[in-house]
Amino acid sequence: MIDDLDQMVTMAVTELFGTMLHMQMLRVPVQEGFGNNETHVAGVVGFIGKLSGVVYVYTSQSFARRITATLLGMENSEVEEGEMVNDAMGEMANMLVGQMKSRLTDRGIPCVLTIPSVVRGSHFSVEVITSTEGHVFSFEAEGNRIFVHFLLKPMDQSQH
Amino acid sequence: MGPKILTVDDSRTIRMIVTRAFKGFACEILEASDGVEGLTVAQRERPDIILLDLTMPVMDGAEMLAKLKADPELRAIPVVMLTAESGRDNVLRIARLGVRDYLVKPFKEELIVERVGRIVDLKSKSDVVERVKRFDDPLQILVVDDKPAIVEQVQVALTGLPWTVQGAAQAGQAVDCCSQTVPDIILISLSLPESAGFILFQMLRASMRSKSIPILGLSVKTANDEQARAQQLGFTAIVTKPIDVADLQTKISRALNLDTSYRYFQRREGVLVLLLPAGFNQAVAADVTTHLRNKVCEAVDAGLNRLIIDMSQIKTADVTLIRLGLDTLQLCTELGVSRALVGSEAVSRECKNYAETMDWKFSDSIEQALADINEKTPTTA
Repeated sequence: MIDDLDQMVTMAVTELFGTMLHMQMLRVPVQEGFGNNETHVAGVVGFIGKLSGVVYVYTSQSFARRITATLLGMENSEVEEGEMVNDAMGEMANMLVGQMKSRLTDRGIPCVLTIPSVVRGSHFSVEVITSTEGHVFSFEAEGNRIFVHFLLKPMDQSQH
Repeated sequence: MGPKILTVDDSRTIRMIVTRAFKGFACEILEASDGVEGLTVAQRERPDIILLDLTMPVMDGAEMLAKLKADPELRAIPVVMLTAESGRDNVLRIARLGVRDYLVKPFKEELIVERVGRIVDLKSKSDVVERVKRFDDPLQILVVDDKPAIVEQVQVALTGLPWTVQGAAQAGQAVDCCSQTVPDIILISLSLPESAGFILFQMLRASMRSKSIPILGLSVKTANDEQARAQQLGFTAIVTKPIDVADLQTKISRALNLDTSYRYFQRREGVLVLLLPAGFNQAVAADVTTHLRNKVCEAVDAGLNRLIIDMSQIKTADVTLIRLGLDTLQLCTELGVSRALVGSEAVSRECKNYAETMDWKFSDSIEQALADINEKTPTTA
């Protein structure tokens, strides 16, 4: 559907974390159930248009807190769990998907983004339903992992 | 307080990042979480610039911008659009909306400051604080001249002051110096080869770190063309070579708005003393005049209604001295302040030769003047 989705996601993630957090993200192999007993926080942004789907950007609660602290120039202890972390993770997902959307639009695949939302919970997993493609990518920085999970509706179906 | 910057974004995170980016600058940050709130704040506060998110609930950035442009009182406010989408079509759509600039998320804080700094006058908080520096406070001065003798002349001219003079023979060296420690003021030779002095000036003005630093041009008196070019570009002032000590100190002092009043005005035993120094000249007279009214008014406000003009260090009464004396006495009359003069026999004699000053009475010393003035105006305390 998108031949170089892999490369697009890697570029978007490394640019986002490098620019906003001065953090170098490295692509690592996906390990099923990695750290899944910990509470995770996912920023979720959908896109609708010639190509439709939804993107989950998730990580452990502790790393989400650190991302928030770094983004806002605070100490970890100053970050209020809840709204502050949710907003930061939602915005991270929004910026990441925004970059992907721009590249797709330039290729003649226009779409619009939904407002970001946030999901929290332990034993986190994203299930793919029939007729939807799922792609998961994993990145690591300083021992912390983030996952980018793409659910894509095939192009011919999403056009209707 | 500097410019008002309104950030309109539904993400609290982005609003907090914007606020943090401008933390070191003298400005006021206003926040709104959607277009409706943004318009309300804009109408109430009249910001100098608006940073506007494109995608927001309730009222998005495009709609808010359209409403701003339709309002005659708000349409002139420059708007910088923030967007997570950098696609060609999106950029063209934003440009058509009439924004001044746009920024794509993710962005570095330095970038947002740089872009806003191109539109409104941003000054770092430290710059604002420096305005109240005194003439005898330490300063860092960078002199960019390929002739070591000039750097040495500047050093000699500023001997006795706690000012550190650093020399740079080339523009590149000056840029390196500024990237390490930002000087308080820079003197650039206008005759550097290949217009390097002018190119350096433009580079310094383009950088947020150095855009507010006063820059003086160094030029030979007769080099009118390069002086005109420097003035046109916006050099703070021109110092001519050979360097005149008083002229250099005065120009640095004015460029940095240094407080020099303590050199001339002193409070002593319930009176304000205006001390005119031995090296009195037109530059000193201008400097005294700058502070005169404020200092006398401050004294009156503090309950001091007597002034002594001490000319005892001056050898000759010239027109500049007489004009300053007359202005000061006029101000005293206007404010109801009693006054006395202290001066040498020679100055006293010379003053007898002018119609305007022939009735000036001089005391020999401050103590004598104090006694005289106290006799005429007994203290109320």
